[in-house]
Amino acid sequence: MSEFWQALAQGVLIGSTYGLLALGMGLVYGVSGIVNFAHGDFISLAMFMSLALFSAFALDPYVSALITIPVMALIGGLVYRYLLRPMAGHQFLMIVQLTLGLSLVIQNGILMVFGGQPARTPSIVESKLIILGDVVLRLPHLIAFVVAFAMAIGLYVMLRSTDFGRSIRAVHQNARAAALMGVDVGRVQVVTFAIGVGILAVAAALLLPGTPITPTQGLQYTVITLLVVVLGGMTNFVSIMLSGLVIGLSEAFGQIYVSDTLGRLVPYAIFVLIMLFRPQGLTWRTS
Amino acid sequence: MIGKGFYQTLASPWLWGVLAVAACLPLVLNSYHLHLLTLALVYVALASAWNIVGGMAGQISLAHSLFIGTGAMLSTALLLKFGINMWAGLVIAAAISGALGAMIAWIDFRFQLGHLSFVLITLAFAEMGAIIVEGWEFLGGASGLLLPRDTGDLLAFQFGGGHGAFWVMLGLAAIIVLVNVAILNAPLGYYLRTIRDNEKAAQAIGVNVLRHKITAMTISAVLTSIVGTCYVRYLTFADPYLLATPTITIEIVLFATVGGLGRPFGPALGALLLVPLGEVLRGQLGGAVPGLHYFIYGVVVIVVILATPRGLLPLAERAWRGLRRRGPEPRPASVS
Repeated sequence: MSEFWQALAQGVLIGSTYGLLALGMGLVYGVSGIVNFAHGDFISLAMFMSLALFSAFALDPYVSALITIPVMALIGGLVYRYLLRPMAGHQFLMIVQLTLGLSLVIQNGILMVFGGQPARTPSIVESKLIILGDVVLRLPHLIAFVVAFAMAIGLYVMLRSTDFGRSIRAVHQNARAAALMGVDVGRVQVVTFAIGVGILAVAAALLLPGTPITPTQGLQYTVITLLVVVLGGMTNFVSIMLSGLVIGLSEAFGQIYVSDTLGRLVPYAIFVLIMLFRPQGLTWRTS
Repeated sequence: MIGKGFYQTLASPWLWGVLAVAACLPLVLNSYHLHLLTLALVYVALASAWNIVGGMAGQISLAHSLFIGTGAMLSTALLLKFGINMWAGLVIAAAISGALGAMIAWIDFRFQLGHLSFVLITLAFAEMGAIIVEGWEFLGGASGLLLPRDTGDLLAFQFGGGHGAFWVMLGLAAIIVLVNVAILNAPLGYYLRTIRDNEKAAQAIGVNVLRHKITAMTISAVLTSIVGTCYVRYLTFADPYLLATPTITIEIVLFATVGGLGRPFGPALGALLLVPLGEVLRGQLGGAVPGLHYFIYGVVVIVVILATPRGLLPLAERAWRGLRRRGPEPRPASVS
């Protein structure tokens, strides 16, 4: 039974971070209809930035997030303004290819600077464990869980009850009407993309302690994020966090109960099954 | 059933002239340049096979690493583990790839979420395939499989090294490009383009969307798998990270995009330009700066997409037509 509780706890903790990764993508998709296939590579970029800050100034990942968040947000804003927005009039599919190209650029840019060896960024909390009965939790996971949900709630409140949040929702619902009401749609889209990428810097800091990183990992993060976003019905905040938990749990249970290779397949299998029987994802409202 | 455009292409002296000149190249080129060209032809074949789904039907499939992987890893494993002749392995792998392709197309149709879901689902399938190949010793696991040395025994699927491999890839690439031309001029090509431009309208006027999607995906998967088998014979080493991860699909998608999606010769143009560029860069700089050649690929792709979203081929065609219509470019009137 202790295995069960262990898997449950681990799944919930990791899943919350996946949910956070996916919120960034869902937010961007809702406002500008863009699915960013370089998403995972932006996470990589933030992680390696933390690594560089650690090597140079011995900064803990949690501290260096204060630097990486604004830098990533700025990069996100520039990428949207100068690479993605010019494509706005064209087919959506070209944006997929453009972000795939961007993914190659980021991934190999990192490879050129840092080399291909797996690297680790140590943190003071890295090896701290919390023991609750039979269940052993790693402190970084617990921190990730708390911060991820705090961020999700913060974003939710921001969308609900600030003017900027209302303008984001207005653009999501109907960009033309929002423009007619005086919302600067272009600005909202740039800022949303910047926020989406900035969130990734937070997620990167949360994932970093104890996780080895390589330049080529980006695609795997993109895939996990996509699974979560699609399961969550693309834009619904609550169901995206829920899907993060589903994917996190299926990963944890797969690792503990099923053999190695098959275990890694469990999240994908669950994803395909859910999508076959509930094509709209885990949302209860069909929009 | 196939329109006359196909026969015009087939009867075109240009086509046979280019092929004849290309076929003589092994006799004059050194082995490094021949290797570059062979590699380019592998990607011409792969990008053109992908074009049937990605270009004509507008469905950006990222699952093609599954088919390349099946064609390459499975046929190799069957030969090494069970002693099954690689010709038979090629057929078995192609059949399995076709079935996988049909299944993916069916699942996609079941989703009813449009083109975007297709990209996502196929990427998920490709990741699953990569995990299976890496984790399953039969297919070589993470360390890959090594084929026996190429002695030129045709019955054992050996083509005698550089020259033979070049001719095989040239033939295969030419056939796949011609299949593209044939489909574009056949009813299937028109159906696929209707589906690409407006799936709902296509369905409304009675196009059997599911059937044509499955047909396109199956043809594309079978061709891709065959190229995979030939490619691994040329490489001799079946490397799971090269042949079975989604990265190779992304490269193919980018070649096709840079060249011009949906055109019969577009993907071929993209691959012929970018593969040698990447290989030369890797040869010159790869030792010093790993990753630089992929970096440059990425930049080229972004620049081309931003500058000419339809790809290089339409741009070249427009320039060519402009030249022919006007004769030599008229001197612009001097504006002072």
